[in-house]
Amino acid sequence: MTSHAANEDAPVTQPPRTPASEAWRRFKRNRSAVVCLAIFTAYFLIALSGQAIELFQGSPFLYDLTLNEMGLDYEEGANAPSTGSWLALFGTTSAGKSVLLRVFHGTKVAFIVGTFGAGLAVIIGMTLGLMAGFMGRWVDEVVQYLYSTIASIPYLLLMLALAFIIRQGPVSAWYQERFFAEYISLGLFNIVLVIGLTSWVTLCRLVRAEVKKVRELEYVQAARALGFSDTRIMFKHVLPNVFHLVIINFSLTFVTAIKSEVILTFLGVGVDREPSWGQMIADAKSELMQGIWWPLAAAGIALFVLTLAVNYVGDALRDALDPRLTE
Amino acid sequence: MISFILRRIAYAIPVLLGVAFITLLLFDVASGDPVSIKLGKNPDPVEVEALRIELGLDRPLLGRYFDFLKQIVTLDFGKSWADDTPVREIFKRGVLPTLSLSVPAFLLGGGVSVSVSLLVAFYRGTLLDKVTTAAAIAGISVSSLIYILVGQWLLADQWKLFPIWGYEYGPSAVYFLALPIFIWVLLSVGTDVRYYRTVALEEIRKDYVRTARSKGLAERRILFTHVLKNCSVPIITRLTIAVPFLITGSFLLEIFFGIPGLGSTLLTAITNSDLPVVKAFTILGAVLYVIFNILADVFYAILDPRIRLG
Repeated sequence: MTSHAANEDAPVTQPPRTPASEAWRRFKRNRSAVVCLAIFTAYFLIALSGQAIELFQGSPFLYDLTLNEMGLDYEEGANAPSTGSWLALFGTTSAGKSVLLRVFHGTKVAFIVGTFGAGLAVIIGMTLGLMAGFMGRWVDEVVQYLYSTIASIPYLLLMLALAFIIRQGPVSAWYQERFFAEYISLGLFNIVLVIGLTSWVTLCRLVRAEVKKVRELEYVQAARALGFSDTRIMFKHVLPNVFHLVIINFSLTFVTAIKSEVILTFLGVGVDREPSWGQMIADAKSELMQGIWWPLAAAGIALFVLTLAVNYVGDALRDALDPRLTE
Repeated sequence: MISFILRRIAYAIPVLLGVAFITLLLFDVASGDPVSIKLGKNPDPVEVEALRIELGLDRPLLGRYFDFLKQIVTLDFGKSWADDTPVREIFKRGVLPTLSLSVPAFLLGGGVSVSVSLLVAFYRGTLLDKVTTAAAIAGISVSSLIYILVGQWLLADQWKLFPIWGYEYGPSAVYFLALPIFIWVLLSVGTDVRYYRTVALEEIRKDYVRTARSKGLAERRILFTHVLKNCSVPIITRLTIAVPFLITGSFLLEIFFGIPGLGSTLLTAITNSDLPVVKAFTILGAVLYVIFNILADVFYAILDPRIRLG
């Protein structure tokens, strides 16, 4: 009898599945999403190693040197992509600097903007949504008022206005005196702040609506009956049940943040004094007309592949995490 | 219905007051000192005092807030700092070029997106559907700047199909607007098709579609009469909400193609630190957004009898 049971797929022998492992199992089933996750990881490693090299080496940064200055035998000015040295793999800019290194540094910039910008937005949106949905009454009224007001100002306009103001105002002066200003430049910090302060509304709405539903469930009542504090119920019991919204929204905001960096930088209120994808695309405007297409192609493709990968992963995350889609 | 509209308007008033307050805070307080922005780093103290009084900066914040509200109601935003033209004149000049770009692009883009997504929903699960969905997700992953730069370089500079830059008033504007309109449509189709496809597919899963099928109706008929009618609510809502952005225009397209509309005006104002123009722009954008949101709600209520106006 026992030997017979062991031959079958006995459910008893399987370890209990946590929601996270269940989600991962469903995510893995989507092959292309797994590939996209691998691409994303590769970008992350590039960003990380670029940062590590820069910390070691200090200024002048390699991306600011021409290939000639690095002792390589290349023509001054623009070189088309060639296989000679890996530094010239994507060619050189019209100033003779390695496009590859600039794309790598741009990757680092993109990850800082994406992670911190989206991170700030998600923290604001999640906390306010949670408070509004759970506490109700005047807190709910205030939060609703706050996000309808913010949402009423057209997005690009709000971003531009805020970017413009942060540059002029006392925040910049405060930032430049901090020690971390050396590692994350002022322009980058501005963008993170602008994106964080403008992109939290969608998540806040979603979390608020979901929390309003979850609040009425029996297990929350049970937690109340046990005498747990509001804060504890909110963050330990309610939050895990709406956290899938936070993860999905983070992936979406991550890409919008990177794309916003490109546009803000292009319009002259973003990253300056270091190469970013936006900066490269801005420079490409005049280079393109001289037939120098490779810096634009490199920055554009780098941005495209990362955005595509994260969009795909985001879609797959939605399928894997949404409890309504479980079979 | 009327009481619903009135209630909706009443609800919008505190929001607009809030927007006005945020705008004032952003531009008059958080930006540091507007006077130093206008007069530069080392200005003459007498001049500074005169300007502070002229701009009303010597008055308390609440007083300035009421001044600003008065400006919004009378639509009189003072003069531009750059060349002393009244802000209202600047707006009048920019509206026509902006609308001549955005309205045709909006109509064309909306038409293309809705028909493509219905078609794809009709052939759902087939190769056509998969290819279109993949193309849409690839399309939205390309930066809008790339579309503009490559479009301008390839179609206008290399192939000489369109002029690269410029604008003319009158019918010849078509010649200059064709390429930016085309790029605008390309930019909007990806996101919109994804959205409308989801809307259509959600409808198709509903019970009334099964009923219609069991009655023996043709799939085509179900899609174009029953499903389309039910989809029209989210479609019209989305289109209505997009209208304010037609007036603020597409900054990027206007700058790249030298169209002297509101978008390029705003950008010039931002680079010149022209506060009155930027301030007027922000608040007008918000007012339009709020108005069209109310309109969207009203359409929603008219189109969908299931919505209770309580």
